Amino acid sequence: MQSNDQRAYDRGVTVFSPDGRLYQVEYAREAVKRGSPAVGVATDDAVVFAAYARPRSPLMETDSIEKVHDVDGHLGVATAGHVADARRLVDFGRQFAQRERLRYGEAPGVEPLAKAVADRIQESTQTGGTRPFGAALLVGGTDDASADTSADGEPRVYEIDPSGTPTEWRATAVGRGSDAIRDRLETEYSAGLDTGAGVSLALTALDTATDEVPTAGEIDVAVLDRSGFDAFDRDRRASALADAGLGEAS
Amino acid sequence: MTPPSTDSRAEAELHELSHDHLSNYKHADHDAPTFDTGTTIVALAAADGVVMAADQRASLGGRFTTNKNAEKISRVHPTAALAISGSVGPAQNLVRSLRAETSLYESRRDERMSMRALSQTAGHLVRGLPVAPILAGIDDEGGHVYELDGGGSVMATDYAAGGSGMQVAYGVLERRFDAEADREEATDAAVAAVEAASERDTASGNGVTVATITGQGVEIGGIDDGRDGSAASAGGEVA
Repeated sequence: MQSNDQRAYDRGVTVFSPDGRLYQVEYAREAVKRGSPAVGVATDDAVVFAAYARPRSPLMETDSIEKVHDVDGHLGVATAGHVADARRLVDFGRQFAQRERLRYGEAPGVEPLAKAVADRIQESTQTGGTRPFGAALLVGGTDDASADTSADGEPRVYEIDPSGTPTEWRATAVGRGSDAIRDRLETEYSAGLDTGAGVSLALTALDTATDEVPTAGEIDVAVLDRSGFDAFDRDRRASALADAGLGEAS
Repeated sequence: MTPPSTDSRAEAELHELSHDHLSNYKHADHDAPTFDTGTTIVALAAADGVVMAADQRASLGGRFTTNKNAEKISRVHPTAALAISGSVGPAQNLVRSLRAETSLYESRRDERMSMRALSQTAGHLVRGLPVAPILAGIDDEGGHVYELDGGGSVMATDYAAGGSGMQVAYGVLERRFDAEADREEATDAAVAAVEAASERDTASGNGVTVATITGQGVEIGGIDDGRDGSAASAGGEVA
């Protein structure tokens, strides 16, 4: 039966379909599309991450929803998709960042981290008995060019999808509504943004993917500049929303 | 200093970063001489911080000075530093591993390691190494000083001296230590202890490095005694 034959190619992750597709990897991309969105914007001197983290119930402690993660004090990761899968990748990145320091005495830049995580994800698409990671990651940061680092001091953002492909962007999004968010970013992004404008752009872009205007308790915001990873507390998130023209201040 | 014959491998597995082969130190069993700090190191808890001091000489068995600008005090945590004595190579490795552990802890938990956690981690990492460092730092509970050794012992104290010059240094500290003293007075006592040891211990000398630790961080600087003819260096790098 035709439909049975078709289905056989999605059983094992390592099996190609006759037309060269890896169905499990494509299903993992679907899982990411169901996850709440995260946006990354590279400005002149920082990377801005903004993510939507809406609690399922008013009883839920909103701070326990993790969308934007500090990797080593300088680099950060924003995630969409399966939280549990993303957490494993974030910790892989944290260990990688410390191993690089032990090995070379240098902090890794954005690209080495993104490619190491990407290679880890790729491994899961070619190893028997595994399933792909159901999460997409934005890896970003700004390395101090004068410090002990292998990077050049440019703010950079990488997106890594469940196939393990790393691509660099000036601004992009992962998760639910990411196509609409990216359309918005394409219209409104311009070179030479300052950090504040980057935060506003990230938040207005994120707003296109949500039904209601997000509140300070429902978003995660972090700025990664030369001085490191800086996560916004609730008050700063509220004023960032106000600055972006999205609702009440605190 | 002879290394304890402890097999460090089983213990190293307590630390995931040690799975990396680079940090799996195994003591060399050859007879080639290794750089030794010789060393006088001291640490004192003061009323408003913790201070450390160290000499700047590295030697071969205390008989020949191989380096006159050895940085023996290194920041290993935003508010803690390690002063090393013993074999230089394993001690440098220890400092790097400890930095990796504290940084990973902070990224994972979004808070700094307490001095209790830091000293225990250092105790695990030091086991099996031919070193005897002093760890000093500050957390919410105040200032702490710990003596460590290659057997993995971790002993909390208010003031400590280590290295080949420790007897001379303790002679000064027994008279000068005062728990009520401020940072400046404690620094004077620490420098006096290292300077006294530098006069009489052949494996110590070539100037004094001073570290001041407060809730704001670790400041490491050199006091140049003018004898080695080069400027004292400041900074967080070891040796």
